[in-house]
Amino acid sequence: MQPKLGAVTPLLSLLAASSALAAGLDKTHGVHPNLLSQYVPLKTSSSPQTWKCLDGSKEILWSSVNDDYCDCPDGSDEPGTGACPNSTFYCRNEGHLGSIIPASRVNDGLCEAECCDGSDELPGVCPNICKEVGEAYRKAQEEVRKVRKKGSKIRSSYIAFAQKEKKRLEGLIESTTEEIAQRQKEVERLRDIVERSESLSAAALEHKKASPLYETLIEHANALKSLQREHKKHLERKKALGQILDALRTGYNPNYQDMAVLEAVRGWESLAGLPHINDVRKEEEGSDEGAVVKTESDDEEELDEGMWTAEDLEKDLDNLLKTDYVSLLLEHEKHVNSPMTDSILFDLAAYLPDALVPQYETFRETVISWLRTLGIVHRGVDDSGENTKLRQSLTEAEQALRRAENDKKKAEDDLSDLFDPEGYGAQGEWKKLEGTCLEKDVGDYTYEVCLFDEARQKPNKGGQTFSLGKFHSWNPDAQPGNPEYYTKQLYRGGTKCWNGPNRSVMLILSCGTENAIHTVAEPEKCEYHLTGTTPALCLPFDSSSEEKRDEL
Amino acid sequence: MVRAVTLSGALLLLLYVPSTFAVKTQDFKTCAQAGFCRRGRALASRAQETASWKSPYSVDSSSLAVASDQASFTAGVKSSLYPDIKFSLDVRIHDDGVVRVRMDEVDGLRKRYDEAASWALIAEPKLSRDISWTVGKKDVRALYGAKKESEVVVNFEPLRVALLRNGKEQVVLNGRGLLHMEHFRTKESSRPEGTPEEGLDEEAQAVMKVRPMAWFEGETEDGYWEESFGGNTDSKPKGPESLSIDIEFPNHGHVYGIPQHATRLDLPTTTGENPTYSDPYRLWNSDVFEYMASSTMSLYGSIPVMHAHAADSTVAIFNAVASETWIDVDHPTPKSTNTHWISESGILDVFIMPGPTPDDIFGQYARLTGTPALPAQWSLGYHQCRWNYISSDDVRSVQKRFDEHDMPVDVFWLDIEYAEEHKYFIWDKKNFPDPVDMMHDVEALGRKMVVIIDPHLKRTSNYPVYQEASELGVLVKGKSGDSEYEGWCWSGSSSWIDFFNPNSWEWWKRLFKTTSQGNKWSWTESTDNTYIWNDMNEPSVFNGPEISMPRDNIHYGGWEHRDVHNINGMLLPNITSQALIARSDPPKRPFVLTRSFYAGSQRFGAMWTGDNLGTWDHMAAGIYMVLANGIAGMTFAGSDVGGFFGNPEPEMLVRWYQVGAFNPFFRAHAHLDTKRREPYLIDEPYRGMLRDILRLRYTMLPVWYTAFHEASVTGIPVLRPHYVVFPRDEAGFTLDDQYFIGGSGLLVKPVVHKDVTEIEVYLPEDQVYYNYFSHHAYRGSAKGKQVIVPAAIHEIPLLIRGGSIIPTRERPRRSSPLMKRDPFTLRVALDKTGYARGELYLDDGETFSHLEGNIVWREFVAEKTAKKSKTIKISSSDLVSKNPDAAVDGVSLTKYDPLNAFAKSVEGVRVEKIVLLGLTSKPVGVKVEGGDDLVSEFVSGVAAEGKKEGEASVLIIKDPGVFVTKDWTIVIQL
Repeated sequence: MQPKLGAVTPLLSLLAASSALAAGLDKTHGVHPNLLSQYVPLKTSSSPQTWKCLDGSKEILWSSVNDDYCDCPDGSDEPGTGACPNSTFYCRNEGHLGSIIPASRVNDGLCEAECCDGSDELPGVCPNICKEVGEAYRKAQEEVRKVRKKGSKIRSSYIAFAQKEKKRLEGLIESTTEEIAQRQKEVERLRDIVERSESLSAAALEHKKASPLYETLIEHANALKSLQREHKKHLERKKALGQILDALRTGYNPNYQDMAVLEAVRGWESLAGLPHINDVRKEEEGSDEGAVVKTESDDEEELDEGMWTAEDLEKDLDNLLKTDYVSLLLEHEKHVNSPMTDSILFDLAAYLPDALVPQYETFRETVISWLRTLGIVHRGVDDSGENTKLRQSLTEAEQALRRAENDKKKAEDDLSDLFDPEGYGAQGEWKKLEGTCLEKDVGDYTYEVCLFDEARQKPNKGGQTFSLGKFHSWNPDAQPGNPEYYTKQLYRGGTKCWNGPNRSVMLILSCGTENAIHTVAEPEKCEYHLTGTTPALCLPFDSSSEEKRDEL
Repeated sequence: MVRAVTLSGALLLLLYVPSTFAVKTQDFKTCAQAGFCRRGRALASRAQETASWKSPYSVDSSSLAVASDQASFTAGVKSSLYPDIKFSLDVRIHDDGVVRVRMDEVDGLRKRYDEAASWALIAEPKLSRDISWTVGKKDVRALYGAKKESEVVVNFEPLRVALLRNGKEQVVLNGRGLLHMEHFRTKESSRPEGTPEEGLDEEAQAVMKVRPMAWFEGETEDGYWEESFGGNTDSKPKGPESLSIDIEFPNHGHVYGIPQHATRLDLPTTTGENPTYSDPYRLWNSDVFEYMASSTMSLYGSIPVMHAHAADSTVAIFNAVASETWIDVDHPTPKSTNTHWISESGILDVFIMPGPTPDDIFGQYARLTGTPALPAQWSLGYHQCRWNYISSDDVRSVQKRFDEHDMPVDVFWLDIEYAEEHKYFIWDKKNFPDPVDMMHDVEALGRKMVVIIDPHLKRTSNYPVYQEASELGVLVKGKSGDSEYEGWCWSGSSSWIDFFNPNSWEWWKRLFKTTSQGNKWSWTESTDNTYIWNDMNEPSVFNGPEISMPRDNIHYGGWEHRDVHNINGMLLPNITSQALIARSDPPKRPFVLTRSFYAGSQRFGAMWTGDNLGTWDHMAAGIYMVLANGIAGMTFAGSDVGGFFGNPEPEMLVRWYQVGAFNPFFRAHAHLDTKRREPYLIDEPYRGMLRDILRLRYTMLPVWYTAFHEASVTGIPVLRPHYVVFPRDEAGFTLDDQYFIGGSGLLVKPVVHKDVTEIEVYLPEDQVYYNYFSHHAYRGSAKGKQVIVPAAIHEIPLLIRGGSIIPTRERPRRSSPLMKRDPFTLRVALDKTGYARGELYLDDGETFSHLEGNIVWREFVAEKTAKKSKTIKISSSDLVSKNPDAAVDGVSLTKYDPLNAFAKSVEGVRVEKIVLLGLTSKPVGVKVEGGDDLVSEFVSGVAAEGKKEGEASVLIIKDPGVFVTKDWTIVIQL
């Protein structure tokens, strides 16, 4: 390391006569190599020699260049003294890389790390340590290079994975396309049958449906459904409210000195059967058992005979509401009327080859209408049972078709995402990491980011896990495809903070041989900054970067 | 019963007061909710309604004893209400003419608190040995002053104290007969109203009911014994002991001071006809969440000092009381002022400062309570704070970004989250694993860190600071007086250090040692560049009455908290600053920022205006609050830039940095819930504006430091309101939105409104003023005049008063210590006669070696060699040898060596440039006397003489080759 502050005070006396020394300063001191050619006196002038400010605004004496007094409005006459605000100083740093520092750091008594040659201060103040710095830099660069090399190998395996994935998806698309064609045919066939069969029985069914029992049943069912919907809404709201109040209880800032908040907390604690948070905090101090002890002791409610418990409601109500009321209606008919055996006639279709079914249907309709006319078969007794079954087959076939279509759509989407610069990168190098969950334990919490999915904050000592947001986008400040673009991932819309925003995460990534989160910080309330590494960012060396390295 | 009705009426009214801000007004008492204030105001209204009102207090002339060798006397005082109760009066005249009036109850049931002044005063004041009292039949008098212009008259019956100048009454005590010192009594002797006493017949009952003192004290014993407010009960074991005193200024139409309140500098009225406020000004140090921008509510600190001002006279009083105090202000005529001070406990101890000018008042007050400490120079730079920089890496990264954007900053701050479980001193190692390394990284660039230490200690066995305090027995006790008081604050269940206990002092100092102290705890994880922020020292107690400590808590010496509350906050920064001095050898100047303060706090550090809001109102209030603090001694003050609460829009943030850059204390701070707003985060063009403002502040550090130097010697505040600089200019008496910086001649009017492009600035004299940036010359008038100054968002209305020389350093650096070797620029702003003068004070900026004469104090003068001469000389000369007594505070530098060690260390520092404004014509020659011709550049323009406005002529002298520590003369031949 270079000497820093410690050097300031003793240096002061040494540097006292700064202007005297500055007078003897080389006119090109601090000049960037690209501008060297401009730091020569004007040829036109005879004696005394003059010089023109780089912006052309003023002609000054050549002796005024680097004389520790700012003459030029653009500051160009003092490249080496720091006399002009907003100008810059160039350190050659021979043996290392040249660098530019602001004028504010020239002759301030500190040896700048960026100027290992010590040229930012007057001679004799800062040693030239470019040899050591250069060596250390090259060594560090070599380390970085090694990591990048190793990482880039892993990265290429990710790319290979993406290629394989591509093939798999393409295969999938092909196979689903075939399947869809088949299933479409099947659906069309069944739909044809059902339509014809249903048009026949629709009228009879309508008649049955007119029964007061059925109508009341449907009304009950609707009422129940509505009730269930409202009930679920209330449950959701209650849950959300509970979360808000929990967050308030654990997170409220006593400095708000707000008795209303305190009352709200106490009210919630008594409602939810929680101990007072202050006592909990005290207990935590007193013992190592930090966990919040729930003292909830819900009094068991006495239920009337046949009444459902809350658990039953949760589990069984859905099933009950899924009841096919039409089938039920028909069963009911069956039950009320005297039992009778099903004629094979009505099930015959099941035994016929598919190809013959349409003909059979026509035939059956004819036969049945005869029988009806003859009073042998009661009108509309059981034909709808048949229809139900047919309809079920159709539904199943349709569902299968939709599944196949979805599979295909998803495969197609995945395929297009795979090499989308805004998705998994132009080479699909991120695909491999989809859903990979990285964790970082920081003591009280473990932070987890499941890449391209969701980030979470999980308390280590029990308590609620908060969502920190779902994957939202890559670095919005960079262009897709640019390496910079993939160095940041944003997760947004996490659980809302009390008195704050929805939680969000910025995951800042760099090249490393492992997928890992290294640091977690919350620079602003509920806005988390995580840093981490991933091989997906280790770009391979191309020929141009190799050249650069050789220059060093 | 009439009273009860009006009372409930008042309560009803209160309920209808709309709450405009988020402040919980109901958390804090109004006068009507404090028994003694209610009694005091009722007393005043009875007096108002009674034509024959006469104070019951009189001096027992037979007991009068005049000291033989000094200007003091004592006498007994009697109250016609309670003939058996004895009081004593003690009147003294100090050698500078200040009059001190003390009154106490003698041989009472208990002792009144009488130590308030001892905490505020720097030393027992010297009494005059020349002034003598003349005892007459009706009064006792003393005539004094150079021309015997001053006179103190103490009338015997009723007791009345008046200070006169040239026969005109300046200050009167008890002129309206509102003096009342409630004597100690037992609850039994003071029977609750309406409870019939057994064994008395009806007639006797009736007689008993009519209290003979009712005409004065009221019918009922209102709030004598126990009071409840907001669910807290004050047991009041001592019963009533309040003190009421009226103080009149019969010839002064303006009063200023009694900080801290968010009100205009020229204190608006609270009583009389159409008062601006309905409640009296309250002094009861309070942590007020989201306080209002205009209110008489008490805030974090209290300085019971009031200036009364008129064109021909300024006087002031310092009422040394530490208990809760309410002050009513009224102007019975535009040229006079009545005030009424109602305190809950304590003796009467009033200092009357005779003036007659504001500067005299500052000197008189400084001799009582001390001058503001000369701060470390770096502390005048920019401070970057936030609740919270969350880790040592966060601090490093903030520093890095300041440097990347080439924005200067001197100090990074850490709020409470650095401390594990808010156990102050104890680093949260999860986020600050390497605190000393972090500090070294900051120090490497000449910067410092300020870390918060609050007075509440977490009650836990693994916290050595609490453990040691508990073992030492230096924690505040509960009302029983024997067990530690426990309250709730940041650290949860907490106790408070009782700094009234002398045993706490050495212990507290030891904690700040950076080296190991044997088996005792000390802060080894800090450095000599770690400075301290004391917050929450009102004290703030989250579950206490009015967010503070119960009044019946017991402090050292058995005093109740009510007796000492307003002083309590001052002691923490007091002892902490001593601890920082004691920390290193040789000692370095401390820096301690405090939120709570009292008279005398100026000796220990800086204050800020607490938790303000990010609103334009609060930005404006910040300015007049800082002005009010300054005239009450606490001149090292500022308001949080950006507002503590809220997310200011870019325009507001820029304006707020402009306000901050012209505050003595310049710190940006933000609440935990706000977005980050460090100046580099804002977008262009605003970022560039903020950089320019920061750099302007650094450019002007020599001006600020020189102003602080003057304040540290004279007590004259760094920010000077108009009435201070132009005490005879009536039009300036209400001005509090523009002010002068020290004696520099810089006049600034920060913009505190939205969408402003130009602004009116008031010029109080027939003089030329130059725009600091454009050099535009404006003309004032003897009658006062408003001029229009450009004030677009990037512009600051900043004028140089003609006749001033402003020393600046124009090279931007990352921090102020890195400017030590930089050359100076002098802006010479000629006045109408072609004259200008300025000062520059320099020292090492951080040690106490200035007290040994290691300073450079220069005077720059520009003047014509003769009245009609065409030659102007600008010269630099030593001021120390001219004013050895005014060079540093408290030491006479008669043996000053201009080649002292500090001067030598900066002997190579040049004046690189002189900018001369207002020359009449282009010079024919410019040279150093006895030297070569100098290079200069002249741009013609308006001359200082004459009446023209417009851009002034500018002569720029390039690198004159003169040094700042040396005498030199530059000759300009016109």
